[in-house]
Amino acid sequence: MKDCALAAYSWVCERTGLDQVWTALMERHIPEAKGWVGLLYTLGSATMMIFTVQAVTGFLLATNYVPSPDHAYDSVRYIDAAVLFGRVVRGLHHWGASFMVVFAVLHMLRVYFMGSYKYPREATWLAGVGLLLLVLGFSFTGYLLPWDQKAYWATVVGTTIAGQTPVVGAWIANILRGTDGMGAPTLSRFYALHVLALPALTAGLIGVHLFLVVWHGISEPPKRSPGKVP
Amino acid sequence: MNPWHEDYKRRYAQLKENGKSFFPHTVFKDVCVALLVLTVLFALAYYRPAELEPLADPTDTHYNPRPEWYFLFLFQALKFFPGNLEAVAAILLPGLGVLLLMGVPFLDRGPKRHPFDRPLWTGLGLAGIAGFAALTWAGVRSPLTNPTEEADPQVAAGRRLYDQMSCAYCHKIGGKGGAVGPALDKVAGDETEEWLTRHFKDPQSVTPGSAMPKMNLLDDEVKILVAYMKSMHAEEPFTKAAPKIFADNCAACHKLGKEGGEAGPDLSFIGTARDKAFIKKYVEDPSTSKPDSAMPAFKGQLTDVQIEDVARYLSSQGR
Ligand code: HEM
Repeated sequence: MKDCALAAYSWVCERTGLDQVWTALMERHIPEAKGWVGLLYTLGSATMMIFTVQAVTGFLLATNYVPSPDHAYDSVRYIDAAVLFGRVVRGLHHWGASFMVVFAVLHMLRVYFMGSYKYPREATWLAGVGLLLLVLGFSFTGYLLPWDQKAYWATVVGTTIAGQTPVVGAWIANILRGTDGMGAPTLSRFYALHVLALPALTAGLIGVHLFLVVWHGISEPPKRSPGKVP
Repeated sequence: MNPWHEDYKRRYAQLKENGKSFFPHTVFKDVCVALLVLTVLFALAYYRPAELEPLADPTDTHYNPRPEWYFLFLFQALKFFPGNLEAVAAILLPGLGVLLLMGVPFLDRGPKRHPFDRPLWTGLGLAGIAGFAALTWAGVRSPLTNPTEEADPQVAAGRRLYDQMSCAYCHKIGGKGGAVGPALDKVAGDETEEWLTRHFKDPQSVTPGSAMPKMNLLDDEVKILVAYMKSMHAEEPFTKAAPKIFADNCAACHKLGKEGGEAGPDLSFIGTARDKAFIKKYVEDPSTSKPDSAMPAFKGQLTDVQIEDVARYLSSQGR
């Protein structure tokens, strides 16, 4: 029995390199960060965990949501009222959105104040800024989906602001809205961005971000530089 | 090659060597924090579920749009830029912000990492946090653009029923809809409630030969449709004197198009946000609609006819 399991394990390892991947990722060493400072280093993984929550709850919401002005609002009401745990799932996705922004920013602040973006981690920082923009993109596109008053008017304001960009503004507003006012094309565009384009881009960029984190190793907690160095 | 780069690499390799394995030490901390965050998230989702406001209503120009709380600081910051500059600032401000953020590792490059060793950058970061907090707070406290007015629930219900029954297949409101029947925003508001009620029960009884079918509506449905119809007012014409009244009394503080003062809000698009009745009441005495308004009351200064005229004039602006 034990031999059998061992044989299976070595079969898998030989075909997939699982044992080496495990060593490289899980048994890599991290410079020690004690106490509170150590906790600050958990903010990035917390952000990632919230992203997972958003992906799962988002999937569940999408199974009942209908992205058309005629049905969006009623489908959200239906999720709240009739779907099993629908209200909680929508609540999780709603609060998760705010949490995502908060934790991404807190994580960025920890990186900022510790100077962790310095050599050789500049590219990690740039990928991070990209992620922050994607997170804000999620928030902007997701806000419209319930098609209630708040959703509608906030998006009118948002797309109007985008439309004020010098030279290309009208063009951008038109791409976002897809129609003169706001209507069915606006909602389908925002929905497609929110559930297809942004998740794919974000997952990809998180991959890049994490690869760089592992590649360079996580920065050590900063120490005060000794006295005045001429 | 920067000399300290090599040096850092060597020092880091040493620190890493002496560090602890990612699994289980780091993973343990990550999981603890993740569970804590999840607990809070579930508690919020359960005890403070996401809200849902009434259905989007593109004709409700009295709604006060508010952005998500983390965008509020930006909207507040834009208020510092007058008129035309605001449009530029709305793009420039966030654009520069993102650019600065991306530039951080290229502007702050030395080997020093401790916050106390980088007073400029630490100060900048703290100032950024303080600015964000102050602007957000100011945004939360700032008065709403449109004073909240009770939307008449009957009117709102009537509007929904109008949509559900596809009246727009034959009728236009606000330029949208069919041309078989009359444009309702032009005519319906002028009919009496009694006439409208009879009309909805049996169109032929008040308009013989009407092409509109009998709808077999319930009494309650008739009532809300009547309320909706009565809420629409036909646009009334202003006289040639109105622009002059505005120029003499209002333009010192208000812009209309390119001309006018800066002390009060730009009124170029006021017609898209306010109807005549509101404007008239406001001009007569602003404090009844907005207690902290700095604008003087014009009742007594102008005749009732003049106020009516200027209100009609303004309610047509931007439409
Ligand atoms: C979706 C958002 C993000 C996720 C999921 C994420 C995830 C992570 C994780 C798991 C780490 C490992 C170390 C740690 O947790 O502190 C990390 C490190 C890092 N992140 Fe992020 N991050 C995000 C956004 C950002 C942002 C907005 C920035 C900055 C603009 C940023 C810059 C960095 C840098 C420079 C490191 C390396 C820090 C070091 O080695 O000490 N990240 N990120």
